[in-house]
Amino acid sequence: MTLINEPVEVSLDQTGSPVGFRWRGVRYLAKGKPLRWFTRKQWWLESSRVQRGIGASALEVEVWRIVADRDAKSFKLTNDGGVWRLISADE
Amino acid sequence: MFTHLNVASAYSGHYGVTRPEFLVAAAAAQNQTALAITDRDGLYGAVKHIGACLKAGLDPIVGVNLAVTGLGRATVIAKGNDGGIGWAALCRTVSKAAKGGKPIELTREELATHTVRDGTALCTVLIGNDTDFGRAVIARDRLAAAKALTEWRRLFSVNGSLAIELVSHLTEPDTAYSTSVAARMLALGDSMGVPSVLTNAVRYLSPDDAITADVLDAARFLEPLGNFAPQPNAQAWLKPPRAMAELALEITDDAARAHKLLKTTEKLADHCRLNPEKDCGWGKPKTPEKATLGIDGNPFEVLWQRCYASIETRYPHAKESELGEVRNRLGKELITINKLGFATYFLTVADVAQMIRDMKIRIAARGSGAGSLVNYLLGISGVDPIEHDLLFERFLSTERSSLPDIDIDVESARRHDIYRAIFKRYGSNRVTLLSMQSTYRGRGAMRDSGLALGLDDEQIDEIAQNMWRFSARSFRSAIAEKPELAMVAEALERDRKMNLLVDITERLDRLPRHISMHPCGVILGDATLLDLTPVETSGIGLPMSQFDKDDMDPMGMLKLDVLGVRMQSAMAYAVSEIERGGKKPFDLDAIPKDDPATFEAIRTTNTLGIFQIESPGQRELTGKHQPTEFNDLTIQISLFRPGPMKGNMIAPYLDGRHGFAKPRYPHPDLEPILRETFGVVIFHEHVLRIFDKMTGCGLAKADEFRRSLEDPRVSASVEAFFRQQATSRNYPQSVINEVWEILKGFSSFGFCKAHGAAFALPTYQSAWLKTHYPTEFLAGLFTHDPGMYPRRLLLAEARRLGVKILPVDVNVSTAEFRVENGAVRMALADVKGMSVSEQSRIIENRPYANLADFYLRARPSNKTLERLASVGALDSLVSGTEYGRGHILARVRELASITKRPKLDPNQPMLDLELLERLPQCDAPTREEQIAAELEILKMDVTEHVLEQYRPMLDEMGVTHSSELVGLRNKTEVLVAGVRVATQTPPMRSGNRVVFVTLDDGHGCSDATFFDDAQARCSQVLFNNRLLIIAGKTRRTGVNGVSVMAENAWDIRELWRQWQAKRPELSA
Repeated sequence: MTLINEPVEVSLDQTGSPVGFRWRGVRYLAKGKPLRWFTRKQWWLESSRVQRGIGASALEVEVWRIVADRDAKSFKLTNDGGVWRLISADE
Repeated sequence: MFTHLNVASAYSGHYGVTRPEFLVAAAAAQNQTALAITDRDGLYGAVKHIGACLKAGLDPIVGVNLAVTGLGRATVIAKGNDGGIGWAALCRTVSKAAKGGKPIELTREELATHTVRDGTALCTVLIGNDTDFGRAVIARDRLAAAKALTEWRRLFSVNGSLAIELVSHLTEPDTAYSTSVAARMLALGDSMGVPSVLTNAVRYLSPDDAITADVLDAARFLEPLGNFAPQPNAQAWLKPPRAMAELALEITDDAARAHKLLKTTEKLADHCRLNPEKDCGWGKPKTPEKATLGIDGNPFEVLWQRCYASIETRYPHAKESELGEVRNRLGKELITINKLGFATYFLTVADVAQMIRDMKIRIAARGSGAGSLVNYLLGISGVDPIEHDLLFERFLSTERSSLPDIDIDVESARRHDIYRAIFKRYGSNRVTLLSMQSTYRGRGAMRDSGLALGLDDEQIDEIAQNMWRFSARSFRSAIAEKPELAMVAEALERDRKMNLLVDITERLDRLPRHISMHPCGVILGDATLLDLTPVETSGIGLPMSQFDKDDMDPMGMLKLDVLGVRMQSAMAYAVSEIERGGKKPFDLDAIPKDDPATFEAIRTTNTLGIFQIESPGQRELTGKHQPTEFNDLTIQISLFRPGPMKGNMIAPYLDGRHGFAKPRYPHPDLEPILRETFGVVIFHEHVLRIFDKMTGCGLAKADEFRRSLEDPRVSASVEAFFRQQATSRNYPQSVINEVWEILKGFSSFGFCKAHGAAFALPTYQSAWLKTHYPTEFLAGLFTHDPGMYPRRLLLAEARRLGVKILPVDVNVSTAEFRVENGAVRMALADVKGMSVSEQSRIIENRPYANLADFYLRARPSNKTLERLASVGALDSLVSGTEYGRGHILARVRELASITKRPKLDPNQPMLDLELLERLPQCDAPTREEQIAAELEILKMDVTEHVLEQYRPMLDEMGVTHSSELVGLRNKTEVLVAGVRVATQTPPMRSGNRVVFVTLDDGHGCSDATFFDDAQARCSQVLFNNRLLIIAGKTRRTGVNGVSVMAENAWDIRELWRQWQAKRPELSA
């Protein structure tokens, strides 16, 4: 696994699922249906406010695993309140 | 449509986040037709859930999430519409799990025995991620999972008794609560023929609440966040049907299977929809069976006979006309009771009251129940409602059908004896104690929030100190507004964690915190009681319902409040000491209520130790009010409440009473009603009578009007009715306007006169005892400590009254303060750190001939031995005048340093007692040291008042004794000194903060008032010191009322140091 952790540009379909992303000038398209789950943040270390109504984004991060059409790689991306990052890549 | 079958509410201690009413409202808004509550470990939120469902038009479903020994946690849901057998099974299952105390759990066999009977499933058990089966699936151990499921199915083979609970919280694939794990569970269930249902294992209403859940987890684990595995994400919320359908599809990846999954879920939900009336006995009053009460025949006839039979004992000297009134009133009350079908209820309460009296325990009624003649005749209440002009309708009427509250006060020291006796008398299948849920409030919320963030206790305490006065909900605004919180505001600016602390404290505010025993509630039912409520073991070992007081009325349960009142214990003790002293036995409840000496004593304002009127505010009011008869006490107790104070009722009443102003009555018709309070509306009873008089609505209806005054939605229609009826009775519009304004403004201010009168009785009785038997009464106060002040103030009062206090003496003192030759002997129990076993050893083995004898036979701990020596409790063990406390102390310290204690052994030669008796030389402690030791060990300055040490300085400064204040002219400049015994900052009409400080100087109490300027000058000194000198001007508040308008305050010890420095010759 290669750690990357860089912001990426992601294109989404109508349901909000990513269909592809551009990373270091290269465009990757998703092969098949990407896998989604939710993980969490340690808000007590990261946030400065957690008042009522702040919303789940203070705690939760959406994660996608995308198998790309090139390099036979699977990529892990996170969507943290609309900000996308490419976290890692697997061979 | 989707019905949630697994929902933990906020009543799942430190787990669920949302109160049932909000969950139900949300489900209703999603067009659901049913909703479950499945709290952890109990049915704590069940009644609130059912009530909310009924209100919202949903069918309630109730279950519980329980630990199954060694197998994880399962959710057990009661079947409904089965005549209550499902509900009963659920209650009994929970009671079984809770029986052994914590942890609450039961074995799978026990679970099966309770939930499946004769081939019928009474409940359905859901097994999911948190069970052995689920864990095996998560671990991808198909074999183990199949084996686990087989084991479950073996005990739960009956159709409908078991289901697999699929949950997807969209966690990382192949981890707990992930879609893939749910899919594997489903596949296994399908292959083994075990049905699966879908839930969302809900912990909170919305994703935003997940942060609160994190904090609750920290409170549950008692670990800061980061020290344990937190919830995986924020998905455990009450998702709408569409989202649940999507999850079903995601899990099954097959539209048809998804449809079937949702259908199975709904089918199970349908089986579990409860009919609250038929399944849970909702709203049906339940009382013990007649036979249990020893009643033959019709309960109403029995009640009727008992009431009539006791007219003679209650009204022995009544004239025929008075008896006519009694009979007339009794008839009216009995008709109402009969219409409501409450005869058994009254007989039950009467039976309990009689049982308590038979145990020779003092009993008094409290609350509106004192307004009932039936209660008076049955001996439930000791207040004559006719003599005191109290209304039955305030207590009970056909306009309401809920069981009335009859609250009784008993001796606090005997309360648990009474509970046990009630269990014994009615059987433990008919009785349980009541529980209560404490909720997170400012300080507690902040503490647990701080713990979650890993802040250290000191940091939390510092902030909590500043914040506890504000509700956690309003911390942010309080910080912005209150100048005294400037430091907190600053900390917020720079400290991220402080900000988080405030945010999560606000989130915790008002959530249920933990369950405990209600301080006074007992539930009495019939033999089916334990089919209707689950019970767990209370702190005192007796079973306690998991329902709280608000659940009683909806469940139709009879709750009796048996409240322990220390004053009742103190008075009972005083009476027993009076009798022990050789006086013939007397009945405190039978003393005449118009004793002039008693009222004279009250009017001096030396009311310390008297029930209800000893606080600084009540003392001041006593000075102004100058009560002369029993009804005055009722009025005074009722006046000194936040309502009347805020409503500004006190001043006009006093003006009228003292003739400063002519009483004003809006209309001559109201004069008879309001004459007792000089035109001021104080009592609920006044409002009832005014409504009745001006509209003819009847007193019962009038009480309904009174109750609805507070509700702005209803009060408009009440106003319309009032205006229309009063107009038709020819009251002028100006009168109607004025009276309506009074009634409207009254809504939240007034007080129930019956309650005031019920309180006035112990007030009068304690005043009477204090007046006629001060020594015995003080012994009672010392022993049972009923008051609000530190006990050293009682000592000062004893000195003022000339009651001698004898020091602790190991050869004489007992566990109680005993009257001994006209003086009060201090108790052993009051020595700091004295254990019960030490105390009984000391008492059992006496008399002691000398120190060594005491040391060897009473075997006190070293600490206790030293403390006893310090307060002079060993003085009597040493004969000869050449030895003093100094010697004893030195000897005791030597004994305490012996590492291996000698034991008394008849076969061994005696120790060299002579040697033990040889006392080493040592200086006697100074007076100052002695008093310091007494305060430390006994919390009382026995030798002399702590202020006496500073006497030379105080005299030179010209400090006025508190007892002399009353003789001074208004606005005299004075200095008062003393120990601060009370500090109060009551809410004021103006909103300005006023600080009331009470000082005790050994001559009584002086009260000082600090307004803004003085506070600014002195608040440092004021709040951080106990010994104070206050400068100010006298302010006359009444005939016997004087307080000091404070201008400045100093710490006595600081002045003393300065004074001594100036006068070296005196400080020696």
